[in-house]
Amino acid sequence: MADPLVWLTGVTKHYDAVVAVADVDLEIAHGEFVVLLGPSGSGKTTLLSVLGGFTQPSAGRILIDGRDVTALPPARRPTATVFQDYALFPHMSVAGNVAFGLRMRRRPRAEARRRAEEMLRLVGLEGYGGRGVHELSGGQRQRVALARALAVEPKLLLLDEPLGALDLALRRQMQEELVRIQKRLGTTFVHVTHDQEEAMSVADRIIVLNQGRIEDMGPPARVYLKPASLFAATFMGESNLFEAMVRERSGAEIRVESPLGAITLPGSAAPGERVTLCIRPEQFRLAAADEHDALRFGRARLTQISFQGSYLRCRAVVEGTPPLELLMRLPIGAAAEAAIEVGAMVDVAVCHGDIVALPA
Amino acid sequence: MRPGPWICAFYLAAVAVFIFLPIVVLVEFSFQDGLIPVPPFKGFSLRWYAALFADRKLLDGLWNSLLVAVLSSLVATALGLLAAYGLARRRPRFAGAIQYFLMAPITVSYLIVGMGLLIGFNALGFGKSLLAVGIGHVVINLPLAFAIVYSQLGEHQANIERAAHDLGASDLQALLLVTVPMLWPALLAAFFISATLSWDEFVIAFLLTRFDVTLPVVIWNMLRSGLSPKLNAVGTLVFGVSIMLVFAVEFLLSRARRKNG
Repeated sequence: MADPLVWLTGVTKHYDAVVAVADVDLEIAHGEFVVLLGPSGSGKTTLLSVLGGFTQPSAGRILIDGRDVTALPPARRPTATVFQDYALFPHMSVAGNVAFGLRMRRRPRAEARRRAEEMLRLVGLEGYGGRGVHELSGGQRQRVALARALAVEPKLLLLDEPLGALDLALRRQMQEELVRIQKRLGTTFVHVTHDQEEAMSVADRIIVLNQGRIEDMGPPARVYLKPASLFAATFMGESNLFEAMVRERSGAEIRVESPLGAITLPGSAAPGERVTLCIRPEQFRLAAADEHDALRFGRARLTQISFQGSYLRCRAVVEGTPPLELLMRLPIGAAAEAAIEVGAMVDVAVCHGDIVALPA
Repeated sequence: MRPGPWICAFYLAAVAVFIFLPIVVLVEFSFQDGLIPVPPFKGFSLRWYAALFADRKLLDGLWNSLLVAVLSSLVATALGLLAAYGLARRRPRFAGAIQYFLMAPITVSYLIVGMGLLIGFNALGFGKSLLAVGIGHVVINLPLAFAIVYSQLGEHQANIERAAHDLGASDLQALLLVTVPMLWPALLAAFFISATLSWDEFVIAFLLTRFDVTLPVVIWNMLRSGLSPKLNAVGTLVFGVSIMLVFAVEFLLSRARRKNG
């Protein structure tokens, strides 16, 4: 990455004996929309707080736009934060909130007012400037918080679970709007969430955190389909996991012994190592006879089917010793052709290339 | 067995009479058209109020009391705010111990506080004066002001202050533009409670004044020369002001609770 906006090296934060962030190295490019994803206690909020200057790291350096900001307070960093509880100033009007940062920068009053109106227009709250904060709905407050943070033209906008308090429909709408605003302004966003669907729908790059460490990072599709670790695989969504043992390696391919039989798949583990094979539920297909690179599971008995709108979520068992339990997501169209029902036998297959071998 | 409704009503009435009858009598006989404030009530007159407002000493005492109440309450509230803010936001070492230390004067009787200040001021060569009384009232009111403000400085407010810092505010700007306006009801409540307590505080005022005295000390001096409806009139005035202050406090605190609730 040439000339990143944010550059973290060896950032560590511990509270007494508890390690919140452990030796994180990270670069963030100009104009990138990055999501820090992880369960509570994974260190994602602490990392955001370190970026914003609210938490002093125990070790490590933070450079933003080429300047070392490690020791700088929030007020002197080119960052702005959208807080989880919005943290709007309750005694000020909407316009007063949005213009606050400009007031602190001693911008002329007229300019501040114009800029506040512009920001409110950007977030879809044109004409709300005179209202009190208490008169607004949760979604509107969220937008005001966003406008207030963007008004100071930060190089880096930090969002701390900004959509957590909104209901599902509103959350979806705000996700789209965040992306629209981010692309339009070109500002770099770092967004914290524990919701992997939200992460996938907004991020250019997802950074999966666990116990203060980066487990995986990359574009949403890569992190979802080819996770780098078992944690990333299970946190990003449902999957089928099988224990396996590496027999031999040749180039970028490994041959493993597994409950699915002996299979060859992309990987770099050494012979003798234990790995976990991961298959996403939607990677299963009802087998057509002519596919040659597909791994056939043979006939599976459907034990449970639930309708999910665009797909069927099915559980199936492949007879054998021991029997294999599978979780599948079948597209509605394919399912209709096969006329599936509980108790029916189906042929199941998966592409070799879709199976991921993870360090066990 | 629960007592019947009649017994409850009687009990309630008895409590009310016990508490309020002396005040009712005090107020009633301030309007006495006669020389002594005892029954029978001889007719309605405002002559004692006229006499009160013609009495130089009383008016001086009234003015002194107001001055001490307002200024000492301002100081107590400002110091209480700073102590609470520092303790809640800076989280110094031994914050718990400091909190108890700040609250400690509340457990000491006014007599002891007054005597301590008297002895201390004597040793320093600092004479009896209204300023000394004012300092005494700051001592007794600071713990209350601190406790009221501290109780309103929650984590939610802390986040709002963080937002102000994030947007470029200095510590002073965040305090004056964000914290103080958010705490406005609590600050006013602290001020009015302090003012109410200072307004009719006698012991400390008695011990620490000589020539310029506050209203309770004037009243005490008048009491030594016997009962007069004029005293009732002064008492009514003091009571009226206290009641207004208490209502102001109640109103402000309930508003603060609604806002934060």
